[in-house]
Amino acid sequence: MTDYACQRTPESRALVPPLPVAVFFALAAAMASLLWGAGPVGPLEAWQVLTGSGGDEARFVVMELRLPRMATAMATGLALAVAGALLQALTRNPLAEPGLLGVSGGSAFAVTLAILLGASSATMTTLVAQAGALAGCSLVMLATRSRGLAADPVRLVLAGATVTGLLLSLTSVMMLADQRAADEIRFWITGSIAGTSLADLVAVLPSMALAGVLVVIVASPLAALSLGERAAMGLGHRPGRIRALVVVSVALLVGGATALAGPLVFAGLVVPFIARALAGPDIRKTLRLCLPIGPGMILVADTLARVIGAPAELPLGVITAMLGAPVLLIIVRSGRIPTL
Amino acid sequence: MSELLIQHRNIAANLVLAATLSLAMAMALALGTVSVPLDGLWDALLGQGNAMHRFVVQELRLPRVLAGALTGAAFALAGCLMQTVARNRLATPGIIGIDNAATAFAVASVVGTGISLAPSAMALGGAATATALAFGLAGANGTRGYRFIIAGLGIGAIAGATTQVMLSRVAIDAANAAFPWTVGSLNARSATAVSVLAVGLVTGWIAALLLGPSLNTLQFSDPVAINLGTQLKRVRTLSLACAVLLTGLAVAVAGPVGMIALLAPELARALSRPGRVPLTASALAGAGFMVTADLAGRLLLAPLELPVGLITAIVGAPYLIWILVKPSSRSLT
Amino acid sequence: MSQPHALPANDHSEQPGLAVQALSLAHGRHPVIDALDLELPPGKVTAIVGPNGCGKSTLLNGLARVHAPAGGAVLLDGRDIHTLPSREVARQLALLPQDNTAPEGLTVTDLIRFGRQPHQGFLRRWTEQDQAILDQALAAADLDDLADRPLDTLSGGQRQRAWIAMSIAQQTPLLLLDEPTSALDLGHQIEVFELIRQLAGQGKTIAMVVHDLVSACRYADHLVAMADGQILARGAPSDILDPALIHHLYGVHCDILQDPADGTPVLVNLRKSL
Repeated sequence: MTDYACQRTPESRALVPPLPVAVFFALAAAMASLLWGAGPVGPLEAWQVLTGSGGDEARFVVMELRLPRMATAMATGLALAVAGALLQALTRNPLAEPGLLGVSGGSAFAVTLAILLGASSATMTTLVAQAGALAGCSLVMLATRSRGLAADPVRLVLAGATVTGLLLSLTSVMMLADQRAADEIRFWITGSIAGTSLADLVAVLPSMALAGVLVVIVASPLAALSLGERAAMGLGHRPGRIRALVVVSVALLVGGATALAGPLVFAGLVVPFIARALAGPDIRKTLRLCLPIGPGMILVADTLARVIGAPAELPLGVITAMLGAPVLLIIVRSGRIPTL
Repeated sequence: MSELLIQHRNIAANLVLAATLSLAMAMALALGTVSVPLDGLWDALLGQGNAMHRFVVQELRLPRVLAGALTGAAFALAGCLMQTVARNRLATPGIIGIDNAATAFAVASVVGTGISLAPSAMALGGAATATALAFGLAGANGTRGYRFIIAGLGIGAIAGATTQVMLSRVAIDAANAAFPWTVGSLNARSATAVSVLAVGLVTGWIAALLLGPSLNTLQFSDPVAINLGTQLKRVRTLSLACAVLLTGLAVAVAGPVGMIALLAPELARALSRPGRVPLTASALAGAGFMVTADLAGRLLLAPLELPVGLITAIVGAPYLIWILVKPSSRSLT
Repeated sequence: MSQPHALPANDHSEQPGLAVQALSLAHGRHPVIDALDLELPPGKVTAIVGPNGCGKSTLLNGLARVHAPAGGAVLLDGRDIHTLPSREVARQLALLPQDNTAPEGLTVTDLIRFGRQPHQGFLRRWTEQDQAILDQALAAADLDDLADRPLDTLSGGQRQRAWIAMSIAQQTPLLLLDEPTSALDLGHQIEVFELIRQLAGQGKTIAMVVHDLVSACRYADHLVAMADGQILARGAPSDILDPALIHHLYGVHCDILQDPADGTPVLVNLRKSL
């Protein structure tokens, strides 16, 4: 058989193993986010700080501003990428993305409402954001039960985009009504991780860790669910419980990311799309690749946000939209929208 | 005989919508921080009676109400044209990203990026660019099918992000001043843009009426439309051009006021007899919606003023979701 | 193949003829029909038959200028149909496509009125003549009682008659129908075919794509048998239909009998292998 050699698995088709490359990419992006910034501290000075020398000002900028920011970006990217991959596997819709479907919007709306009502602590914000995401996520699952939306990936996205628009409108009304709340969230609501402190990150980490445990538990059953509900039941899984666990994980992840960085659209679309293209259809492999690619992507986006408009900063959400919208178009251009 | 019936139903629909619009306009002229009694309203419009009322009605409210009616009519007519050409109720300029792109271009001329064209011209350019892009990206299917819509969704997102980039780079005061406009508001309107819109609306409306018979055949499949002598390509191109013109000029006045292009044609269709694309009825309904929504925005949280775009979004979104959730409606390709 | 039913050219000289010369049609880059010649016999019913995917619907759409040719030309009265104004063609030729959807709530009368559109001027006055033609079309399709009913409330057969009535109101000498009886039950099929015969009796030139060979033989004067984008045979059904042609078209074997009532060919003893 001459064509025997052509029958390869998706992994072996790649010239280089994707996982190590992705990890390298993430590390390089992390380094870049420490070296470049909007301020006057250039790559050279930053490098000196990292190697143990450098001036006090540079040390402050790198260690107190850029380092926490790098950590926040990594957590945000990780959470959104994993949440996106989970949501896409669950709805069998490659366009399902927390930002597009209104999960981030629900989260942002809840946070705005909480701030309007006087909440201010970071832990409180995280919890409220996760509750909002849970509501948004449950709404998505409810929507996929309706006949009009279940079968049609695009309709679901349009419905989600509408919900997002509605929530943002309501958020805007609240901002108009309360100047104090508006000042507090004006930058955050467009998506930004400028000025986040390690305390914010620490407030989010426990719930993210919980989500991580849930994802590890649910990954294999979810892969079985991709064969269809009946097949998964035949393999001894309970589809209802798998769904519930995935919804809770997505809510924890998206809520945490939104609390840190505001509602970022498209971040959860791009990374799983790339991961799936590299790893093939198995959700477990996709998730594994999302772990380095997600943080790497947000780090790159955040570094761009700082560098492009220097000395001013662009909102991170603007950059993710700029990166994500073309991917959306690529998915649409690639013929029929595939169902997962 | 049945011709008369059709005429009657549609004339009746247009009359009802025109009456509603007049009522909305009268209310919008009369109500506000200074209320003008209805009998004083007429005097004030004619330049008689109470000087305070005359000033409030003629100088403050009339230009705003007229601008609202014109933009509403333009958005709705553009929506109706686009829906007919794409054979899809969802394919309104707002969803296709045309509103956002027009806004991005117009904002570029306002925030001083060195481009000194008037907002109307810029918004037109933005609308045309977005349409061309959506068309190009949709591929062979043209305006048919969902690719056009998803392409538009992406273009709209990029345009929205670009607007934010520009606003984030100017002084905070300028950004704050432009903010209501980016969600759709009649506050930032310029008199020039309104006059340009008035001319554009009349032109677009006449063109749409001339295209009417051909547009009616687009309600059937392509072969049937061709069979009835419709030149598909020409009708589609001209209708899209009309929609771009109307949307661009309306955005230059009021920013991207969403959902009117969706809601108004729906209402017009419900009132009119099937078989004809309700062009005039859509325009009247859109004008009525816009004036009412703007009035609501002024009154609801007074003295705080809500941008009209927020009102239309909050009213329209549940309706759009209902369209999407409602199983299998035939008109959704 | 021979053309036993070739008619003298001067017989229907007032009839506009529809013919194709070296017509090639393609779906994207896939050629469907290559260099095909065909002339519709004036005043007759022509049935185009053939297996699925043989290009018969494509050919019909090509004839009706819905599908632009990749080569060759469709000639309406000797002139290239794509150079004529679309509206003028619509006064000569009516097409009834296969998948017909109408806007929700459209009534039978509303639909038939569209048939008058190619005849109306820029200011589109609805004249008494238009009304008379509308009434005639209603009567011809036996739809008088259903005139004000929305299409979506009608049965399949009634709906198809309404669409044919629209073509009647178009008052064209040429009528093309793409599978006019698909998805209809036997009674409705016969209803529609008899209406088509009736129209042919009034002197219209009709071409239709028909799936069912037996019905094609019964209701057509002229049969065009196609396979793989080629015409295998053309002529009167009783002249050209033989077991060899059937096998060529559909890959099945059969015997052919004459219907004792009207002498049309009937296929019996159908089987996959001899």
